[in-house]
Amino acid sequence: MIQFYLTALQMALCLAPMAMGIFITMKVFNIPDITTDGSYTLGAAITAVMLSGNMPVAVTLPACMLAGALAGTLTGVIHTKLKIDALLSGILVMTALYSINLMILGRSNIPLINTASIFIKSDWLGNELNGQLLTALIFVGVILALLIYLLRTDFGIAMRASGNNPVMTKALGVNNDSIRIIGLAVSNSLTGLSGFLVAQYQGFTDINMGIGIVITGLGSVLVADAIKQWFHVKKIGRQIMLVVIGCAVFQAVLAFTLSIGIDPNLLKLITATFVLLIVALPRLTAFAKHK
Amino acid sequence: MLIINHISKIYNAGSDDEVRALQDVSVEVKKGEFLVVVGTNGSGKSTLLNLILGTILPTTGSVSIDGKIISHLPEYRRSPWVSMVFQNPANGTAPDLSIVENFRLAALRSGKKGITIGNNTKFRQLVKEKVTALGMGLENKIDQSIGSLSGGQRQALTLLMGVMDKTSLLLMDEPTAALDPKSAKVVMELAEQINREMGITIILITHSMKDALQYGHRLIMFDAGKIVKDLNKDAKQSLTITELLEWFA
Repeated sequence: MIQFYLTALQMALCLAPMAMGIFITMKVFNIPDITTDGSYTLGAAITAVMLSGNMPVAVTLPACMLAGALAGTLTGVIHTKLKIDALLSGILVMTALYSINLMILGRSNIPLINTASIFIKSDWLGNELNGQLLTALIFVGVILALLIYLLRTDFGIAMRASGNNPVMTKALGVNNDSIRIIGLAVSNSLTGLSGFLVAQYQGFTDINMGIGIVITGLGSVLVADAIKQWFHVKKIGRQIMLVVIGCAVFQAVLAFTLSIGIDPNLLKLITATFVLLIVALPRLTAFAKHK
Repeated sequence: MLIINHISKIYNAGSDDEVRALQDVSVEVKKGEFLVVVGTNGSGKSTLLNLILGTILPTTGSVSIDGKIISHLPEYRRSPWVSMVFQNPANGTAPDLSIVENFRLAALRSGKKGITIGNNTKFRQLVKEKVTALGMGLENKIDQSIGSLSGGQRQALTLLMGVMDKTSLLLMDEPTAALDPKSAKVVMELAEQINREMGITIILITHSMKDALQYGHRLIMFDAGKIVKDLNKDAKQSLTITELLEWFA
């Protein structure tokens, strides 16, 4: 039983970079970006091809992040320079990426068995899962620290202000277009990183693995948002930490629904309903009080 | 210091709904001058301010500051010279960011927003000192989100933020229009102090006749896209509120 939830936690850690990326676009910049579905699979596809081609993990990792950053940049350029709605820009890039990903993979599915992996395949903490968990934990910790640092720098303050009040930042010498493009690039490079982690963790890359993944990230950010409001969390660093916790809560809920014997085919329906519930909860409670 | 050279701004040129917001306006503002601009709605005074700030570009003519023509630059590249206090206090601050973070960004108006942490102990001390001088009791709240403050507090902070970094020109577009009389007085006196002590040139647009008489060294009036009155310090001092109101009749 505990093993079952630890597996969910492991998945949550692998998806945490993506959730942090969605936090950047949605909460820092106020941009609804759904390039995610494409850039996630992009990271996983590159991982599958490079690792099965015996490339080292140390090269594969930056390659995934760079590819994700490129996808984000593309969405950003379409959105800011061609003045196309952010949602549509994301859909366009995501759709185009499906073909690109298929081209990279060459077929719809690549297994990763006996290839190099970031997850240490040994029983150095009692069992294999503990070792994987620790690796993922360290990894997410480093990403978290870097991101908190970035958002607290002068550039990070400019990023946050640009999403909060673009009229002000323009008058303060911030190029809102450029900073949005950079934000989308950072966000999608983190998403590519999640693709990299998940592909190695589950041991395969599938062309359809990214479908609806954005809702998982969105759900994690919304759970984090709810916790943030309950506990009046103001500091940006703590808000990002909450995203990782939100991601874990989200995966735990999914694991729970599976454990009570719900048909796995209904998982996306349950995911969507769960996200709807989190979004609607404040309004539903307000409505109940009003009555 | 600021030279407006034969500037015109025409919207929808050639069509039936052509609007001549500014018609061949020339004016020179000296360094350290506190210029007050009055005029009816639609007379062109806000258009002038926006042309200097860069939110709109002129149809013809040019704007130069300290000898450098800036009228072709996008807004974000004019920040080394021009600082703006908006009419709506909400426009000048990022509500979800703390007071000190807002000040940090303002302090970098003309500079690079790099990936180092500039919001350090030394900077926090500086912000505390600046905010203490306001006498609003905000010095112990610098980590509070600026959106939780009143409009008057936010506008006073915006004004301080406007001069955190070096600036040649401070533009104020009806900065007290949304404020109660007490906050309005604080903001106007702060503006006067900034002009007097730091020697920063100010252009103030106002609909308050009282403020127009009380503050500044020079008064100009816009009507139908042109400057129709231009009073120097002496002429402005002898002006009465009745005479000023007659201009609008």
